[in-house]
Amino acid sequence: MDVRQSYQVNLEFFQGPLDLLLFLIKKQKIDIHDIPIATITKEYLEYLHQKDRINLDREAEFLLMAALLIYIKSQMLLPEEKPELEEDPRQRLVDRLLDFQKIKALSFLLGEKEEEELKKWKRIYIPSTHPDEEEELEDISLFDLAEAFFLLMKRKEKEDVHLIRGKEYTVEEKMREIISLLEDKGYLDFFEYFYNHTSLQESFVSFFALLELIKARIVLAVQETLFQSIKVWLQKKPRTSFIR
Amino acid sequence: MKNRLKELIESLIFVSSEPLTLEKIKGVLEEFSETEIEQAIQDLLESYTSNERGIQITLSAGGYLFSTRPEFDAYIRRLLQTEKRSRLSRAALETLSAIAYNQPITLAEISAIRGVDSTHTLKVLLQKKLVKIVGRKKSPGKPLIYRTTDRFLTHFGLNNIKDLPSQEEISKIMEEETPVEE
Repeated sequence: MDVRQSYQVNLEFFQGPLDLLLFLIKKQKIDIHDIPIATITKEYLEYLHQKDRINLDREAEFLLMAALLIYIKSQMLLPEEKPELEEDPRQRLVDRLLDFQKIKALSFLLGEKEEEELKKWKRIYIPSTHPDEEEELEDISLFDLAEAFFLLMKRKEKEDVHLIRGKEYTVEEKMREIISLLEDKGYLDFFEYFYNHTSLQESFVSFFALLELIKARIVLAVQETLFQSIKVWLQKKPRTSFIR
Repeated sequence: MKNRLKELIESLIFVSSEPLTLEKIKGVLEEFSETEIEQAIQDLLESYTSNERGIQITLSAGGYLFSTRPEFDAYIRRLLQTEKRSRLSRAALETLSAIAYNQPITLAEISAIRGVDSTHTLKVLLQKKLVKIVGRKKSPGKPLIYRTTDRFLTHFGLNNIKDLPSQEEISKIMEEETPVEE
């Protein structure tokens, strides 16, 4: 279906309010730098009226844009006090639209590249990130981990601790951060990682995140020798597979 | 071994688990000079450009990598009994574009560019390992900041982040009237 010809395009089709606005501008062959706000607002609202099936979150984003359009129109109607100092009320919206237009063009080009790339099959062997000298390493128990943690906490206690409320770390977020770090560096030095923490709270959350990851068998924690730092690795089984 | 340097490098690329970089090749082949190695790679790539091969060596995410030729996709899928591999959604592509051209970037900044809340899409991209967390921004709330990964480059067949579509290519698309896909 050629959407440019049919007027009845479902709101679901658009990625967001900017997308819809851009579509309307194109359709009306309007100069993006000189948007007739009244016309475009009317058109825009007509689309919103056929909102039968969009969900509330999306609707809010579309409504926000409608409010912005009406606000801009009202700004333009007001007599200007210092005309030479005021920028065109539409300017910020135009900038956003242009930026978005660029991103849209880009994602179109990336999509083309992707399509071509998906036709190529790559032979990629995903190796074990686990070190070869595995046998010499001791698999550590939860107890060892906890002990190491308390050791670290002791050291941290000596530092000046100032409590700042309101800074929230979530375990889920920390888990993702740890995984990201592991993917980047291959392994993580448990001690080193904790030194970089700024607060007690962050250390606690990280520790819980680490435990969760071990429990879910996403990472593996090993200690080279007793009392040494504990190293954390991503747990992956060696396998040959095709990836994109 | 000197006269078989080309084949030697070919075997190294074959066994590599990830795109094999020039530095790595040089590191392994320490008894050969850099020019010898570079010349051998050049020869190797040339021997693959002829249409007599079903596989090719591509430069991807900074390294050399074996891949099949795109025209045989349908038959390979028949062998592997897999469907056509699914493409990323429009939302995902848009989000990736916003990140790729503005990195490092926060979630709030991504959402502002797209005019849509991008929490969910970003989560999907993180899971697919196309983007990664690189730290926190030193601004109120210390939001996480994101970058694209090497896998992102490989996914789109790019060698380097600089290989992203240029300003000219973008302008061309924009002039052609922004495509309204599907």
